[in-house]
Formats: sequence, C-alpha cells, structure tokens
Amino acid sequence: MTAQTQVNALEVNALEVRGLVKHYPGVKALDGVDLVVRQHEVLGLAGENGAGKSTLLKALVGLVRPDAGEIWVRGEKVRLRSVVEAADHGIGMVFQEQSLVPNLTAAENIVLGSEGPGVRRGIYRWDTMRKLAQAQLDKIGSHIDPLARTDTLTFAERQMVEIAKVLRIEERTSHPPVIILDEPTSVLESKEIETLFTQVRRLREFASVVFVSHRLDEVLDVCDRVSVLRGGQSVGEVPTAGAAPAELHRMMIGSTGSDDHYHGNLAERSDEPARPRLVVRGLSGATFRDVDLDVHAGEIVGIVGVHGSGREDVCRALFGAEPTLAGEVTLDGDKLDLSGTRAACAAGIGYVPAERKIEGMVGPMSVADNMTLTKQKSRCSGPLVVPQKQATLVDKWIERLSIRTPHRGTAIQRLSGGNQQKVVLARWLVAGDIRLLLLDHPTRGLDIGARSEVYSLMRELANSGVAAVLLADSLEEAIGMSDRIIVMSDGRATREVACPAGGKPTPLDLVKEMV
Amino acid sequence: MTSPADADTEVVVAPRPRPRRGVSLGDAGPPIALVVIFAVFSLLSDDFRTLGNVQNIMDAAAVLAVVTCGISFVLMMGSIDLSAPGVMGASAIAVSLLVANNRNDNAYGLLGVLVALLLGSALGCLSGLALVSLKVPSFMTTLGVSAVGLGLATLMFAGVQPNIRDDMLDSWAVQRFLGLAYLTWIAVACVLVGWLIQRYSRLGRYAFAIGGAEEVLALSGVKVAPYKVAVFTLAGTFYGLAGVMVTSQLSAGLVQAGKGYDFAAITAAVVGGTLLTGGRGGILHSAVGVLLVTVLTNGLVQVGVSPYWQGGVQGLIVVAAVAAAVLPQRRRNQVTK
Amino acid sequence: MTTPVLATPAADQAPVSGGPTVGQRLTSFMPVIALVALLAALTFADPDFLTQRSLTAAVRTSAPLAVLAAGATLVVLCGGIDLSIAALCSLSTVLFAMWLPDLGGLTTLVVIGAAGLIGMVQGIGHVVLRIPSFIMTLGGMSIFAAVALVISDAGPIRIVDRDATKWLTLYVGGIVPMSFVVAVIVVAAISLVLKLTPLESFVRATGYSESAARLAGTPVDLVKVAAFTISGACAGLAAVMLVSRNFSGSPTMADNLLLPAVAAIVVGGTAITGGHGSLWRSLAGALVVTLLRVGLPIVGVSSAWEQILYGAIIVAAVALTLDRSKVLIIK
Repeated sequence: MTAQTQVNALEVNALEVRGLVKHYPGVKALDGVDLVVRQHEVLGLAGENGAGKSTLLKALVGLVRPDAGEIWVRGEKVRLRSVVEAADHGIGMVFQEQSLVPNLTAAENIVLGSEGPGVRRGIYRWDTMRKLAQAQLDKIGSHIDPLARTDTLTFAERQMVEIAKVLRIEERTSHPPVIILDEPTSVLESKEIETLFTQVRRLREFASVVFVSHRLDEVLDVCDRVSVLRGGQSVGEVPTAGAAPAELHRMMIGSTGSDDHYHGNLAERSDEPARPRLVVRGLSGATFRDVDLDVHAGEIVGIVGVHGSGREDVCRALFGAEPTLAGEVTLDGDKLDLSGTRAACAAGIGYVPAERKIEGMVGPMSVADNMTLTKQKSRCSGPLVVPQKQATLVDKWIERLSIRTPHRGTAIQRLSGGNQQKVVLARWLVAGDIRLLLLDHPTRGLDIGARSEVYSLMRELANSGVAAVLLADSLEEAIGMSDRIIVMSDGRATREVACPAGGKPTPLDLVKEMV
Repeated sequence: MTSPADADTEVVVAPRPRPRRGVSLGDAGPPIALVVIFAVFSLLSDDFRTLGNVQNIMDAAAVLAVVTCGISFVLMMGSIDLSAPGVMGASAIAVSLLVANNRNDNAYGLLGVLVALLLGSALGCLSGLALVSLKVPSFMTTLGVSAVGLGLATLMFAGVQPNIRDDMLDSWAVQRFLGLAYLTWIAVACVLVGWLIQRYSRLGRYAFAIGGAEEVLALSGVKVAPYKVAVFTLAGTFYGLAGVMVTSQLSAGLVQAGKGYDFAAITAAVVGGTLLTGGRGGILHSAVGVLLVTVLTNGLVQVGVSPYWQGGVQGLIVVAAVAAAVLPQRRRNQVTK
Repeated sequence: MTTPVLATPAADQAPVSGGPTVGQRLTSFMPVIALVALLAALTFADPDFLTQRSLTAAVRTSAPLAVLAAGATLVVLCGGIDLSIAALCSLSTVLFAMWLPDLGGLTTLVVIGAAGLIGMVQGIGHVVLRIPSFIMTLGGMSIFAAVALVISDAGPIRIVDRDATKWLTLYVGGIVPMSFVVAVIVVAAISLVLKLTPLESFVRATGYSESAARLAGTPVDLVKVAAFTISGACAGLAAVMLVSRNFSGSPTMADNLLLPAVAAIVVGGTAITGGHGSLWRSLAGALVVTLLRVGLPIVGVSSAWEQILYGAIIVAAVALTLDRSKVLIIK
C-alpha cells in the first residue's frame, strides 16, 4: 500500500472496477463494466442470465483474465491471476457450486492451502488445526464441530464452513477483506436464509460484501446498494432504501424488452386441434412432482422457473434421459415409453441439450455425420450407408438453414456456436418425422445474430406443425417465443400464463409467479 | 457429494452424534464379512480352525498387506496402479544380487535392502512423473512402468537365478516372534506406518482430498502434482519392500516375484471398502480387505477347492464389490468408460 | 429487431481456429513412420534382414498379435479398454485342445464363438452393472486364467490331430503366411462393415462423447457389448493361430501378448480416450511391435530390453495420441 492512499482509509473504496472487458468467441461477456464496493457495505449485484455477473465475479477472484480494464483494491491497481493472488489482495468468494472437499473435515477445508501452524513439516497437528478452524467459525458465530466430516453437514452448514474458509484471507492482509457471495440462497430454506442474512450483516462489521442473487426481494432486504448489470455493461446503481423490486427489474431488462425478441407467432394458425399432441399427467421424478402439461401441434410452450425449479429435469424426463417415478405421457394419443432416449427418438421426439459442446454434438465428427447421427435411415439404403444420399440430404439442410461451414465433411467443432446449434437442430429435422421438439436453452452462448436465426427456425418449425417445449435463456425470450408459458416452482407446475401474439405478459408478471 | 455410507471413522473423532446420515454400513461390512467367512470355514474344516492355520493365514497375508498399503494411497487419489509386478520383480532381483548370494561377492546386508527399496521408489516416481507431466492416465503409465521394471529385472537376472545366502534376510521368513514370522511383523509395521501417514501427514490427507475433489484443491491454491508424484513414489517404496519380502520367503530372486500381486492388492483394497473413484477407504480398510482375501483363499484350499481357482475367486469378488459400490449411485446417461 | 429470413444470415462468428495440430499430423502417420524407420534400421544393422524369408517369418509371428490387437481396438474406439484379451486367448487355446478330439473340424468355429460369448458377458457386465471396462476386464482376466488353469490342470495339452489347423500353416503363393492373410481379412472385414453401415458413426460417437451419443439416440449400450463380443471372438481366433503354430494348448500361452497388444494399439495411433483410430492402424502397430521383437537380437540388444521398450513405447504413444481436451482431470 502506497503512502498517498492511506490519507483517509475510510474514503478509499474497498474494491473498484473500471471498464472491464472480456470477450468470448462470438460473445462480449463484459463490455466495460464499472463497479464500486465501499468499505463496510453490502453491495448487491443484480442482472439477468447472461448479463455478465458470473464473468465479472470470476475476474474478481482471478479465474478469468479480462481483456481490458482495471481492478483497484483500496486505491491500488492490481492484477489478479489466480484465486490465491486474489486472496492475497483480500478478495474471496463463496462459490455457488460449493468448493469444499467432501471427504475432509470442516477444519481441514477451512484451512486448506494455508494451514500455517496446523501443519508442521508435513505433519498434521490436529489440535492446532481444530483451534484455527474454531477461531474462524467463532467469527461468524457458528457452532459447527470443526472435526465433522464435511459431507455429513447440511447444505446450510457447509455454506457456513465456506464463509469461515473465505474469511481466512483476513490472515493474509491487514485490511478488511471483500467477500463475494454468489447466489448463496438458491438452495436454502427460508429459515436458513434468515440465518445467512444475519451472518451477512455481521460480516459488514469487518468486511465488504458483494451479494449476488436473482431474488430481488432478498437483494433489497440485505444490501445497502444495488449495482445492476445488463448485457455486459453497468446500467446503474440504486440505494436500496425505498427501492422497489419492480424498479430494479426494469433496470435489469432495460428498454430492450421482449420487443427485441422474435414474435413470430403472428401467422394465422388454424383452429386448435381437438386433442393436444403431447399430454403429460402427474409426471413425477426426483426433482419434480405431479407435473401436468399439454402441448398442441404447432404450439411453442415455454417453461419458466428459477434455478432448482426442476424444469430442466422435466424436459429430460420427457426425452427418457431422466428416470421418472410416476405419471403418464402420451404423444398423439399413444402412450410414450420413457425408459430411454432411443424410444423417445423413435417416437419422433427431439431434444436440444443446453450443454451443446458436451451433450449436443460429437465435436470431432463431421457436420454431415452429426446431422445424420440419429436418423440413420435417412442416409441408408437397407443396412448400408449411401454416401451420395447423405451428401444430398446434408447439403440440402446446410442450404436451407444457411449453415456456414466450409464443407459438410468439416468437423463440427470448427464451426461457430450458432452454426453448431443449427446442425444439432437439423439432426431432428432431416427425417421429417419430428413431432415434438424439446429445446433446453437453445440460444445459450450465441450472439444476437445467431439467436434470431434460431428463433426464426423455431417459429418456422412450429408453423409447420411441430410441437415445441422451450426452456428459454431469459424471460424475454420465453415471452417472445412462446404461445403459452408454464411457471414452475419447487418442482411443480404452479401456473399457466397465456402468451398470445397480441397480449404478451410482461416479465414482471412472470417473476411474481416464479418466486 | 459421495454417498452417505462413506463416513471414515478414524477421521471423525467428534463427540457430535451423526445419526443424520444413518449408520455407515459401508465401514462395518468388511469386518463383519471377515468374521462371517472365518466362522463358516471354521465350521466346514477342522484344519482351518487350528492355531497353526491362523498363523499360516497371517504369514501368508504379509506380502499382500505391504503391497496393498502402497496401492491404497494411489486408489485413495482415484488413480490406479498396475506397476506392482514390475517393481517387485526389479527389487527382488536387485536385493538378491546385493546381499550375500551365489552370483557375486556382494554382501551389503541391510544396505542392499535399502537400495532395493530406493529402486522401488524410483520406479514409482517414474509412474507419477509420467502421469503429471505427460498427462497419461495412471493405468497406462503404471502398465508401462511395470514393463520397465520387469525388463530391468530380466536384465539383472541374466539367465542365472540368484540364490541368497544372507542370514538376516533368510531369518525374516523363518524366525518367529510371538508366533508370527518376522515378515508378518514387518507387514504389521507397514500397516501402522501407512495409517500414521494417512492420518497425520499432509501427504496422506491430500491424497484423500485429491480423490474427493481435486479441482477444489487447485482452487484453494494447492498444487496437486507434487503430491501425486509423492504418492506414487510412496507406493513404489512399499512394492520394493514387498519384493524384498518375497525374496526372503523364496531364498532366491525371481523376475516373477510380484506376479498377480497388483490384482490381488486391488481386490483387497476394493473389498475392504476403498472406492475406485477415490476419496474413500484407507489403510485400515485395506488391511481388513487383505485378511478377507487371504482367509477366503486359505479357507477354500482347506475345504478342498483347487488352489488354481484363487485368481478366479479374486476376479469374482472384485467385480461384485465394484458393482455393489457403483450400482446404488448409478444414473441414467452416466458415462462409464 | 425485425425478423430475419432464413436466407439472410447474420455476420459469421470466427470459427474455432485450427486444423490438425503438428502432433495430430505426426500421430496420423506414426505407425507407417515407425515401420519404415524400423525396417531401415534393421536392414542397416543386418543387411541380410531384408530377405523374403525373414520378412515372411516376421509377418507370420505378427498374425495372432494383429488379430488380438484389432479386436481390442474396437473396445478402445468405444472409449473403453479390454485387458482380458490375452487371458481369454490362453483359455481359448486350452478349450481348443480339449474340444478338438470331439468336435474335429468344427472346433475352430466353436472356440471363436465361445470366446465371443465370453467377451459378450464382460460387455454386458460393463454396461448393465456400470463397472468400468478397465476393472471388469481385469477381473475377467484373472477369472479366465483361473478357469484355464483348472480345466487344463495347469499344464499344456498336446494336439494330436493337426489337420484341423493345418490350413493356417499354409502359405499363399508360397510366400505370404495364411495366418497373416486371415488377420488382414479380419481387419478388412470389420473395417468394411464399420465403413459401409452406420456402425462407424455409432462407435465413434460413443468413443468421442458418450453422453452426446446417448442423447442423439444412438444404441450406445448395444455398440459397447458388440465391441466386447468381437474383441472376445478375435481372442479366440488368435488362440487358433497360436495352437496351429505350437501344436498344443496351454493356460499361459498368450499371457505375454497383453503388453504387445496394448502397445500395438497405441503405437498405431488409436487414442486411448476413444473415438479416434482404426483397426488398420493396429495392424500396422502389430507389425511394428513384432519387428521390434525379432529385430532387437539382430542389432545385438538383449531381449530383456524388449519389456522396457514396450513400457516406454506405451507411455510415449499414449502421451502423443491422448485427446487432452476430453479429460480435464487425469487420474
């Protein structure tokens, strides 16, 4: 710390971010973000999925290197290249996916990597270690036994262990640390959340806190100030006193609301068929219960819900990729076999997974082979592959979907994300027997241009009579694309919202139902 | 998160009651099985339940126990080690050429044993280095190192079998203390040392943690590579000692000294409750597993089953034990390689 | 933003850069380079080596190894490993010797069928019980070895009736050993079936990305079981070849072929991570390994070095061909 910055310790910002930029292939995750964290305050960070929250947080703890921009800690410009370096500067994060070693004791986890006197010459001194950990737990007033194995603790207790672990960075600096809490409440019950909030307020006494949550009421409840991100940019700061969730939400969505998304369902549709194409009754699984769902031919039904609502699992269960416990599903009146993905494919169901690179495509294989992977009959004559047939078919779809690839034989991993996704979609279309498409975040990681192409394609498919279930990346996308929206919460389908071309609900209407 | 049955009793000395996750049957299973199998064989065979036979079992378990000590640390990390046959062969020939023998005039005694152990360490270190620097999966590096060890042994063997004439090494297999051969006491000491390493050293605890959540260690600023190399080195040292022990038993150095011990040790560790995915089990678990495997082998011979079945029985139990551990956790779309 | 029509795409994103890396280019030619280099080195060390007689002998020796490696390559392509091939091959030599007096000319087919069946059982165990292929086949290896020891009473069984295997000892055109021709036919047949049917797509998709393959509705489990079945059947065929040469079956006859077979697969350039590779590569790999074996004494290196070389080759070849993007944490 240099002399001039010590003028008035309280006036110096604990953490300051100036013009942070981070590009990923095709996406600008951070586009000049500014952020100020004052000393001894709880700063809320709000933003939609894809607003750049997680990239910003990762940059703050050295897991992501920004392309441009500066990070200042207590008036000193720093470069953070690893979690350890961030900790040296007093920045620590409680990760959303917990970062504890499950088979070690709580004490070991708390001191992991900086055991200090707990380990001498490679030999553990359990007593010292327990005392070190106890001191950390005392800071937050937790009564967890330091020598309990971490995987015997409840989720809330483990979170306390994480906070105690992060507070170890106090030992590294002589200044109050900055503690980042990433979606700490997403898996907690309401009573546990209260305990957590008490802890957060207690933390403010000796640290600065950055609190990230998608639940705006919580953010307003626990934070002093809220900073809002949108599209990789800072769009404003609000003091929480007197602010309403609606106001914050408007800032998160901005003027580019649902209008920016593709409302293609203006096309005149014939009268709804008497019987829905997909009928789901009482579907239950490990993470969802008694889900009812109807989807008509030519209809796009969006399912919205917060993290942990179980909507992804419902989607996978319909494709036979997730076991179900009870319930009946019929497709065009025929009972559906949910025992595996093969049966679903044979019934004319297609699934576009959210994890495109891992689950959606076989990276080293060619565009052509990826496209015909499921519907092998479309390129075969009897048991034999007819290369000419495949070439004609694939070239036709490359042209129809304007997939930009040097050649049909190019490995799919060399294409851009949008073109990869179009190949994955084409896989279900080549045979022309698709009846129901399950789209799990089909535009994740795509830039705006590629997104609208995927939107057009979805709409075109619906108009041709395909039924679709959409798990959208954002509420706007869900509202813009869907004819109807099902709201899921805690594994149940709680409400159905009509979403016709003329009378779209606002995102705020949906948020009320979701939380 | 690992399954509820993972609790590791030595670690949790907490007064805190832990009924929340249920009684950990996974830990109690192997000892109970040991008692049951012992009881069954005692009923079936008169020869089995003699004191002399119990001594036999303990003595027969000695070498396997030492090998299993080494492999347990590797398995705890979630890696695998197939190098025992090669390392044991190399160390067996090395020690038999260094102590008093019929091939040369060497008579280095204990120093020779030490060199054999170091040879084991070096080969183990090689496996570890290949794993962390070339990023080749451990089952391939250790398969390769096993071949290297066998090659070294064959080179030193040079066509003439070295018979040892070292009194100390000979006495290890013959002399008894409290009814058990010295070799058996060496094995007991190894188990004790292994347990201390696992419980009280950073190396042991980190090996355990690497199997639990390697990425978290990296996130906490721990460099795991040196610990991985160290664990393989430690395992190699144990195999080296096992090679010396076999030489003592046979009074001769054999290239094939370690044949089959890799698989027997994996069997013992798995049966004792060590998970192949790592992060669970330990030396004491493995020791129980060693006794289980040895009692089973001995008992089957006593009741008249051909000793040739020994490997087959091990194969069956390893498959059964792994399946029993994996099945409750299986998911649809799980990738099994 | 207005609705773009499908025909007017947005500006393209930069595609993920890069064609094959230098390492990939190198490994794609690895078996051929190694083969040529070895031949050159051996000819240099002993000018008499490059004669028809010694080449014929080398090729003949390589046949069982090539068949063994080719079968296991299928399992590796699916992303697994089969460590039981050598033990299963030994067991098959014993079965052949025991069944020959009763079955006569049919024995060859029956042994190959039985070995295939045993392979299939392992495959089903791997798929249904979710046991990693590595541990399943390691268990299989020790079970097969035990069975072979028990039924043969731990000794070799001599074969009196040599007519049943005589055809394998013939030479096509007086030069090319029949056993090698059979090996080439097996490799060609399996490769052709893969190439001409959707099977190749299934196998590669399973090996490259099992979860993507499953979510695309490919029959992942069936493909894996089939791979293990063919691997077993190939072990049976290799056993017949060994018997035709040694005129006996023995419970440990093929045990020392495991390491060379694994070496042949990885030297061929088939990635141990699955998906990438071919049976032809393993055939070339088997030739490389065999040349190394017969060549070492020629250049005056003790055959003890053979083992050390196998070890080094396996580690080096795997390091070169491994698809590191797939495995983030190497265990």
